[in-house]
Amino acid sequence: MMARKSWRMEIPLHFMIMPGLIFILIFAYGPMVGLVIAFQKFNIGKGLFGSEWIGLENFKYVYSLPDTMNVIRNTVYIAFMKIVAGLVAPIITALLLNELRKQLFKRTVQTLIYLPNFLSWVILSGILIEVLSPTTGILNDFMAWFGLERVFFLGNAKWFPYVMVTTDVWKEFGFSTIVYLAALTGISPALYEASVIDGANRWKQTLHITLPGMLPIIILLTTLSLGQVLNAGFDQIFNMYSPSVYETGDIIDTYVYRIGLGNGQFGVATAVGLFKSVISLFAISLSYILAYRIANYRIF
Amino acid sequence: MARKKFKLFSMIVLTFALVFVSACTGSGNKDNTAEPAKASSASPSAESSKAPAVPDGPFGKYDPPINVTTVRSSTPSVEYLPDQTLDDNVWYREFASELGINLKNKWTVNTAQYPSKITVTMVSGDMPDFFIVDMQQFQTLAQAGQLADLTEIYDKYASDTVKTAYNESGGIKLKAGTVDGKLLGMAVDGGSNDDAHSLYIRKDWMEKLGRTAPTTMDELMDLAIAFANEDPDGDGKKNTYGLDISKDIFGGFASIDGFLNGFGGYGFNPANGSGTNLIFLKGQDGKAIYADIQPEVKTALGKLADLFKAGAIHPEFSVMDGNKAGEMLTSSKVGMTYGAFWVPTWPINNMHTEDPSIDWGVYEAPSGTGSPTIVQSSGMPSRFMVVSKNSKNPEAMIKVMNYATEKLTGAQKDIGKYHTIKQGDKNYQIHTLAPIYAPSGEKNQNYHYQVLEALKKGDKSGLDEEAQLYYDQVKAYDGGDASQWVAHTLWDENGVFATLGKYKKNNRILMTAYTGAPTATMVAKGPALRDLEARAFTEIIMGAKPLDYFDEFAKQWLEQGGNDILAEINATGQVQ
Repeated sequence: MMARKSWRMEIPLHFMIMPGLIFILIFAYGPMVGLVIAFQKFNIGKGLFGSEWIGLENFKYVYSLPDTMNVIRNTVYIAFMKIVAGLVAPIITALLLNELRKQLFKRTVQTLIYLPNFLSWVILSGILIEVLSPTTGILNDFMAWFGLERVFFLGNAKWFPYVMVTTDVWKEFGFSTIVYLAALTGISPALYEASVIDGANRWKQTLHITLPGMLPIIILLTTLSLGQVLNAGFDQIFNMYSPSVYETGDIIDTYVYRIGLGNGQFGVATAVGLFKSVISLFAISLSYILAYRIANYRIF
Repeated sequence: MARKKFKLFSMIVLTFALVFVSACTGSGNKDNTAEPAKASSASPSAESSKAPAVPDGPFGKYDPPINVTTVRSSTPSVEYLPDQTLDDNVWYREFASELGINLKNKWTVNTAQYPSKITVTMVSGDMPDFFIVDMQQFQTLAQAGQLADLTEIYDKYASDTVKTAYNESGGIKLKAGTVDGKLLGMAVDGGSNDDAHSLYIRKDWMEKLGRTAPTTMDELMDLAIAFANEDPDGDGKKNTYGLDISKDIFGGFASIDGFLNGFGGYGFNPANGSGTNLIFLKGQDGKAIYADIQPEVKTALGKLADLFKAGAIHPEFSVMDGNKAGEMLTSSKVGMTYGAFWVPTWPINNMHTEDPSIDWGVYEAPSGTGSPTIVQSSGMPSRFMVVSKNSKNPEAMIKVMNYATEKLTGAQKDIGKYHTIKQGDKNYQIHTLAPIYAPSGEKNQNYHYQVLEALKKGDKSGLDEEAQLYYDQVKAYDGGDASQWVAHTLWDENGVFATLGKYKKNNRILMTAYTGAPTATMVAKGPALRDLEARAFTEIIMGAKPLDYFDEFAKQWLEQGGNDILAEINATGQVQ
């Protein structure tokens, strides 16, 4: 009786999840049918099931391209730096903000660092190209004022990956900071009071109460971000790169865009997309298992 | 209990409200694309219920009217009159009233994004009735059998004016659009050598520095460095540059093609291009060789690197797109650019009008070899208007083209209404709003000769209406009307077409030795080789790599697919 009643009570909840489920079915699972293109010599006239099957030919073609290995290396390098910096920066900021007494100041900072998150890379790239310009950019003017040499941030292959990481962290860390701040408010004040009685100073409190309290959310965000290990940020790089930084700045997505979409090589583009998804699935599974084994934390 | 029921009820209502709202937003977004599709699918049924009416003749009117779709691209910096936009303009209105063709744009997009958007459209299968594609997309669509065969339609419906235009230059435009004996695309460019580059120089800067126009490459380099160092804009700051170059390296302007030509080198492979529209030369053994890896190109790149080092090329050129490179000219930061005939119409069109002290001169490409420069020109069409094989009225495109061509070049021509409308100080190019028309390849060149002749005689009576307009505009400029600077620069002596005329008359034009379709390896390896070239050239110019890296690049180009491409091209037997 009780069980039936509670099931009945949940009907509205099931209804409420429907829009989301339908959305995912249509826009995430539906397009997966298109993955067959990866194994075809795709002909737009014959369509998904009429095109000629060519096995792994598309994968072999990508592997044979001279830049493929370099592009994969760039992608992993940039994405990995973004993941690490994207974890460390917001945690430190959240911890520091948490120590602030003045609520007004805290809120202001929080809002300001969250702002870039709302701008698209198309707009930001325009701004950054001006700001980072070696001849007229404000940053280089500032550096020159200190007697430093002017740097062509977006045209110099050595600098480009780091500029991408820095600007990405600058744009995104406000959001994660807010997530971590929310986690901080969930820690019981009683723990802090007890630790003060035991003689713990601020640093000891951070180390033994705050950080362990944040751990689940840190693990969650880390695990999720590991799925991004082959996503180095198409929007951002596509809007800021140029041939002179292909060597270090070209990532899988921009490369596939240039050789695939720009020239109608759909099978090749799909093959690379499939490859990326498989690697991401592997990375995210691995981090899930590690999170369970090491921190005894289950996300699902 | 009652309260619980109410809660349950309200939650269900809320759920449905959510579904409803998301459904509405979904359809709201799709509105733009869904509507024309609906319209075009609705029309044939309406039509079939009456009589299948394909009116005879090039200008026959559909009754009842038919709905036809296309897609357009636009350049962000081009201004439109408020009542003359890409979606609604004199052309579209008259297609509806005169031809019974309701033409609708499924979408319009920035010119730079147009090729990618078309590719996506091709795959999604949601193709408009007719649309413009590039060479590569044309091949893909033709091989996939997605295009309507226009052979008979063209014979039956094309007007005489249109046919005359397409039969020019030995019918090269029709040949390029024919695949396996079927006419599948109408070339929208090509057939002339107007795309050969001239050198554009800020005359006022030259006078200020007491210099004359360069005739040799040494003089050109000298002038470029002077523009950078001797403060031609007189603001006391070292903020000007000699030669405009964009990150695409090759292209219609701010490109290096003309500079290479000056040293006897040839090349074409824009960093943002398809990587399949290349220049091949005929080697001494009669076999094709790739122009961009020849030693003359190396020499020219070395000179460009010298200019870069001397500060005569903007240090950030490698991140500047075409719009930004155009801004460099319009904001008076750069004093020289190589470019095609249209440079006076964009980007530098309004500079002299807004500030009469600014003046650009047009010059032949200087020579660094001792003999006059032979400039490169494609001549081949690079873009085609195609009709989807699913189009219910494939002849509608030809009719639209008949109509626009007749109003622009034919007997019913009305330049003031259809070509250019002058309002205030600005000239609005109404003819660019027509989806397609068939311009005669050498039409502009002939207008130049006619206008020049009439100017000498001081009598415009022998000219046709369009030429009279140009005559009047040039006269107005001579009479002090600075807003007619574009006409003056295009048509008058020492103008663009005067320069092009010198190239053409003296056979100083070089075209690619291979005019066939892109080969299999060109399609497969072209993009990767294009990136290789863009990188090598950019790095050599910027000094990031030494000049001798060029040899390394040439070797890599051959090894990474170039040898196969050359073999395929030689095997076709189409190397001329």
